[in-house]
Amino acid sequence: MLRSLSLTSRLTLFFTLLSAAIVLGLGVIFLVASERHFIDLDDIVLQDKQRLVGELLAKSSSTQDAQVRLKEALDHHHGLYVLIKDVHGRVFFESDDFNLPDATSLPEPGSTPKSLRWSSRERAYHGLAQWSETNLGASTEMLILVAIDTEHHTHFMAQLQHTLALYAVLATLVSGFAGWFAAHQSMAPLRAMKSRASDVSGQQLNPRMPVEAVPVEMADLANELNRMLDRLQQDFQRLSDFSSDLAHELRTPISNLLTQTQVALSNRRDADTYRDILASNAEEFQRLARMVSDMLFLAKTERGLQLPSKELFSAEQEVQALLDFYEAVADEKNVRMSLHGSGNILGDRLMFRRAVSNLLSNALRHTKMAGEVCIEISDTENSTKVSVENTGDGIDPKIMPRLFDRFYRADPSRAQPDSDGTGLGLAITRAIVEAHGGKIEVSSVQGLTRFTLEFIKVSQA
Amino acid sequence: MKILIVEDEHKTGDYLRQGLREAGFVVDLSRDGTDGLHQALEESYDLVILDVMLPGMDGWQVLHGIRKRGLQMPVLFLTARDQVEDRIKGLELGADDYLVKPFSFAELLARVRTILRRGRSGTEPTSLLVADLELDLLRRRVARGGRKIDLTAKEFGLLELLMRRRGEVLPRSLIASQVWDMNFDGDTNVIEVAMRRLRVKIDEGRDVKLIQTVRGMGYVLEAPEES
Repeated sequence: MLRSLSLTSRLTLFFTLLSAAIVLGLGVIFLVASERHFIDLDDIVLQDKQRLVGELLAKSSSTQDAQVRLKEALDHHHGLYVLIKDVHGRVFFESDDFNLPDATSLPEPGSTPKSLRWSSRERAYHGLAQWSETNLGASTEMLILVAIDTEHHTHFMAQLQHTLALYAVLATLVSGFAGWFAAHQSMAPLRAMKSRASDVSGQQLNPRMPVEAVPVEMADLANELNRMLDRLQQDFQRLSDFSSDLAHELRTPISNLLTQTQVALSNRRDADTYRDILASNAEEFQRLARMVSDMLFLAKTERGLQLPSKELFSAEQEVQALLDFYEAVADEKNVRMSLHGSGNILGDRLMFRRAVSNLLSNALRHTKMAGEVCIEISDTENSTKVSVENTGDGIDPKIMPRLFDRFYRADPSRAQPDSDGTGLGLAITRAIVEAHGGKIEVSSVQGLTRFTLEFIKVSQA
Repeated sequence: MKILIVEDEHKTGDYLRQGLREAGFVVDLSRDGTDGLHQALEESYDLVILDVMLPGMDGWQVLHGIRKRGLQMPVLFLTARDQVEDRIKGLELGADDYLVKPFSFAELLARVRTILRRGRSGTEPTSLLVADLELDLLRRRVARGGRKIDLTAKEFGLLELLMRRRGEVLPRSLIASQVWDMNFDGDTNVIEVAMRRLRVKIDEGRDVKLIQTVRGMGYVLEAPEES
């Protein structure tokens, strides 16, 4: 049941119960102590009176004299009652209005003094009974019982109880309310976060948790939530960019294909013309198919799923294979390709080939006749770096930030269907490197363009 | 050579049947998994081409049914989903190859021929001959009309592939994969350049051109009278 209570209610309940317990405990201690104190005071008074009566009896010459003296003395002591009995139980003296219940057991001769408490006719009494030596009558020992009316104490205690109870209730209420207020105030940042969170949706991912306005205990949570929102927003953005890019990139070639086919169908043509058109369509379809599979590859790689396979391979062997592949193209342009260094990489061999292949293909495309493409592998303690450097015009610093965007082409004229690339090469290379936990860097200084892939080494474990 | 295609997509099925028939195969087409399995068990085929997503029974189940009966004919999977797990599952179940849609027909044809050739054992030839072009596999020498031609190692590999599969149109991706071991859609421009250079060495100045470009498909090497 407690589980369903709100945090505020729980805290309020806790404060209320705690303060009630404290106040009640204090009240009880106070009451008990007061009562004991009164009893102690009464005892002193009663002992004093006992002594007084004893002295009085001792001074008396006869029984009558004693009785007269007692009566006189008692007239001056309002609220003091005396009862004197001899060993036979005969009453020697008794104050007026003295109502000792008959059943009261009095101490036997020779025993220690006894304290008595009783009430009669709604009045409370406290007495002290004691056997004392006297010179009166036949028997020398007499039971002297002195008592005082303690009604004013009882009255006082009742009033004190009343006051304390009232105070306890008030204090409990006040502290309960204070507890509720404090809890409610402390929860205010949570409510603020809740209202921010309710603003967040797929269309609206901008709201962020108020980090400065919340107490330190919640700041961590707010920060973490904000980071989560950042990640979600990035992923959402990527997804929506992906869809719109794809739609945009597909629109032009599809509309070309459609137009070309419809124009071809609008008139009778000879077989060679049809063959030409079909072949051209086939080429275009192949490009589209490659684009779609590149997009899928990119989406899968960017989603950061597990690598298809993980093995330790020699980077220079893979690069050498790529150099063999590109040999003819380099030869055509009279470009010299060279490979230096060596190093091992733990990862997916095919993905690595693909990443470097994209860089080599770009490098060869942008190198002028008789230029140079230089691949360097450097093996350091923490990482293996593969850099591809080529001579050429270099990259305009203005377009650097967009270089790795998908479908971004440095040369707008390349965006035409006759170009072979899909505009995804560098995006794929970056995604592959990042899927391996590495990073890609690019620099272009004085006609030397250099892409560096850094693969972080992980322990063999 | 008899091939069974199990494909529920109408157009794909029809074109595959037509294409494979024109390539010289005997082809049956089945439109759902249950029929496909039945047909595969009833008749004897040299190859089954299976779509993964099928009504009735999916491709995995059909393959399972075929293998359960102890039939070992090769199976080639077609799928729209390119997932590593799918590929592994197919290979574990005993599929021989795997092709992701969209694929080019030339690619499919080349793979089909590769699979069918695998079963055929024969003495490995020591030389290949197409018209007056001769390739000596032992001495790694090439000559046309008796005159020696100098080729680089990769050019030799490329020519060997074309000659071994004379008359077949080889798509660029297959060439990249077979000759350079580049098993991804890379820069196809590279293949074009390499082919152009090879053609200069083989065909330039000759009346009979052996290497042909088939637009939109790939390359083929054949003697003119064969076509």
